[in-house]
Amino acid sequence: MTNPEADNGKSRDELVQRLELMEAMIAEGRQYTGRNSWIFVLWGVVDLIALSWQHYSPHFGGPWAWPICLPVGAVLTVAGKVIQLRSPGYSKNAECNRVMSVWGMMGLAMGIYVASAMLTHFDWQFSYMAAILMMMGMAHAISAAILRWPMQGLAAAVYWAGGVAILAFNSGRATNVIWLIEMGVVMIVFGLYATRAEQTCSGRKGARA
Amino acid sequence: MTNQETDNGTTRDDLLQRVALMETMIAEGRKSTARYGWIFVMWGLIYFVAMGWAVFLPFKDWAWPVCVTVGVLVGIVRVRRKRAHGAAENQRSRSIEAVWQAMCVAIILYVIAAAVSGHGNQSAYYAAVFFFVGLAHGISARILRWGVQGLVAFIWWGCGIALFFFNTRNEVLFIFLAAAFFGMILFGLYAMMLERRRAAALVQHHA
Repeated sequence: MTNPEADNGKSRDELVQRLELMEAMIAEGRQYTGRNSWIFVLWGVVDLIALSWQHYSPHFGGPWAWPICLPVGAVLTVAGKVIQLRSPGYSKNAECNRVMSVWGMMGLAMGIYVASAMLTHFDWQFSYMAAILMMMGMAHAISAAILRWPMQGLAAAVYWAGGVAILAFNSGRATNVIWLIEMGVVMIVFGLYATRAEQTCSGRKGARA
Repeated sequence: MTNQETDNGTTRDDLLQRVALMETMIAEGRKSTARYGWIFVMWGLIYFVAMGWAVFLPFKDWAWPVCVTVGVLVGIVRVRRKRAHGAAENQRSRSIEAVWQAMCVAIILYVIAAAVSGHGNQSAYYAAVFFFVGLAHGISARILRWGVQGLVAFIWWGCGIALFFFNTRNEVLFIFLAAAFFGMILFGLYAMMLERRRAAALVQHHA
């Protein structure tokens, strides 16, 4: 009874092994997100700086706030990733690769979209701001589905709600507040939460060892 | 030499098994996309019909709501039927499904919110929809390591960029139709052709 042959010739033990492997990969994928959650915190801070600069010092290079802060954020992200990849004990599995594909492609799409809008001076439109939040929500939702992580699913819902709210309120002031909440608070809070989750998991592993 | 223990206790055979499992999952993921190739063709045709209705027929305001609703309903019914016939699924194909589901939710929320709030005629809005579709293709292409789908992602993004530069009604219409033809219909037909070939090979193999 313990090891009956399944329909397609796979034994029960084999199936259990596969399931365990998949569960381990999902857990590793979550940890991978946790290890990279400093990127969320970094971008939350970058967005807060750019927004504050634009809002509080409009006559002191205000229009240059985003064109300066975004490339600086991109350079810091790449530098941080390079250092992380070189550090000992850095490993990835298929689940991590999938999550990396999601965020890598989101970064590429967002970069092209933002650059095109800025070059053509359409970055004042509310639909532009809303689209950025919708894209962020999309990446969080896909990652949440891959990693079966409800907390990240919640982050996706908050981003989507923010995108819809920007279009619904249709005012510059409301957009600034929503942007501040989404890019500043949600990004940083989720980043810190994921970092903490990763540390807790690593701590448990260490204790077991 | 054939079964050397690695640093973390995993044997070479274990690693080979893992690699084989991943390769099978990638192949199955591609097959699952190819199996749903008809969805791309259907949506490409729906875009053409809706555009044609909006330009040439009366009751223009109803063109998109009617066509999109019909598309969604047909899609749901056919996908349910396919599932009832027992289409195989693995983790990778479920990830691909998650990509398209997230894209659908994002586009539906965005389009409805933009239409209701009167932002549906902004260049950034049109471009964003193209970028959402391109993003879904891009992620799927990366997960399945599928160059052709990666190309489709760049077609959508390229058309999205073009929408920022060309924004008269005729230009938007032309870009939209080009994206629908190359990024939906042609890709869908290509995916369907792959699926047909695979099915034919399977029949030959069994015979």
